[in-house]
Amino acid sequence: MFDFLKQYYPVFVEGTAQTIIISIIGIMIGILLGLIFVMMRLSKIKFLSYIARVYIAIVRGTPAMIQVMLIYYTLSKVLEVPQIQFLGSGLDRVIPGSIALGINSGAYTAEIFRSGIISISNGQTEAGLSLGLSDRTTMFSIVLPQAVRNILPALGNEFISLVKESSVLFYIGVQEVTAQALGVGGTLYDFVPPLIVAALIYFVLTFILSQLMQLLEKKMGRKYLRSN
Amino acid sequence: MSAGESIIEVSSLKKAFGDNVVLKDISFDVKKSEKVVLIGPSGSGKSTLLRCLNRLEDDYEGKVLFEGENVNGASKEKLRLLRQKMGMVFQQFNLFPHKTVLENITFSPIKLKIATPQEAIAHAHELLKQVDLSEKADAYPQSLSGGQQQRVAIARALAMNPEVMLFDEPTSALDPEMVGDVLGVMERLAKNGMTMIIVTHEMSFAQNIADKVLFMDDGMIADSGTAKHIFKETNNTRTQSFLSKVM
Repeated sequence: MFDFLKQYYPVFVEGTAQTIIISIIGIMIGILLGLIFVMMRLSKIKFLSYIARVYIAIVRGTPAMIQVMLIYYTLSKVLEVPQIQFLGSGLDRVIPGSIALGINSGAYTAEIFRSGIISISNGQTEAGLSLGLSDRTTMFSIVLPQAVRNILPALGNEFISLVKESSVLFYIGVQEVTAQALGVGGTLYDFVPPLIVAALIYFVLTFILSQLMQLLEKKMGRKYLRSN
Repeated sequence: MSAGESIIEVSSLKKAFGDNVVLKDISFDVKKSEKVVLIGPSGSGKSTLLRCLNRLEDDYEGKVLFEGENVNGASKEKLRLLRQKMGMVFQQFNLFPHKTVLENITFSPIKLKIATPQEAIAHAHELLKQVDLSEKADAYPQSLSGGQQQRVAIARALAMNPEVMLFDEPTSALDPEMVGDVLGVMERLAKNGMTMIIVTHEMSFAQNIADKVLFMDDGMIADSGTAKHIFKETNNTRTQSFLSKVM
């Protein structure tokens, strides 16, 4: 059933590499946007808070596939990306695609950050301020590091779902794992075996990711208990 | 600044949370090296008053002067400098759980460039010695008892070389056997001439340490004077009735 892999495995390797790369870029943009938007969301300036709420509402309330296509078609009109091939896809697709993943993830990440920040007692902020620290230092050096520790499990979930949802970039022609599997299926006139391979690849990727997150959680948890 | 001069002056301070008026026209002053103790029933506004002094509570009416500078009118930058001179110790300690004891103490002096890292670390070890926790420098707060955490919190505030120390019910969250250690550290601090403003329910401690006691009731200073006046001589019926309940 999986004999085709002998011939087509390079295609899957390429697709896997592409999926990993768009996921990493998407996660990084998502974290960055999440941080920016959570600061806006919690800002005392009403206008900034409002913008952040609108962004979060729109991203959460519309399908990722439509977001990706809208961003791709809009960006391709505005941005001049050279048609360089990268792991089987044009950069003019990979770049807007990764950005779209990041914009989508940023909304969820912002909400996760917000839940983490709210979970830290106000006393931590007050202790920082009472020492003469600025609002910014108190947030970035005192509150956020603790918040991040509390939200690691939720953040891990978000990263895992981003890896899986990166398959929507198939719709704009990025040759990631799903696209490659469908391509192979088309040549074989049988979609089931290549899709099973694709599913296995996603499973392995997300499994590794979840193990890494657990390791990080354990490491951070242990450290805080050190007694001398 | 010579002894006997006011370091903090509060005049006509009023603070409300929405419709709930918590402080109604408070005026008093604190002289250098003076120990002022705030006592009174829960909800009388003691903690709020203390928190107005370094503007953890904002939006109040009236005036708070620290070394002649207006606290409530200060710009953000100015306020940060004023806060550095007013160390605060909280009921819930509020140590930074993601930093070691040493890092808790050295973080602000280093960040605010008040000391080089070497100086800050040396100072921190000295302060830890003063609060009898030298061996805990590399521990994380979660591994310490409440009393130990509170002593670290005192050391952390002292690391900024403050002119005044504000204590907001520093022993209220502690197990009874821990209270003595913390009060001991505070007594030593008092002997060394630190200006202190203390909100507390420890009446015998208040009696021993206070140069001036303010009895607060319903958002006002209902009675004030020396410890001897408040605890022995006052004719104020509200003070008497409060003290009879807590002593």
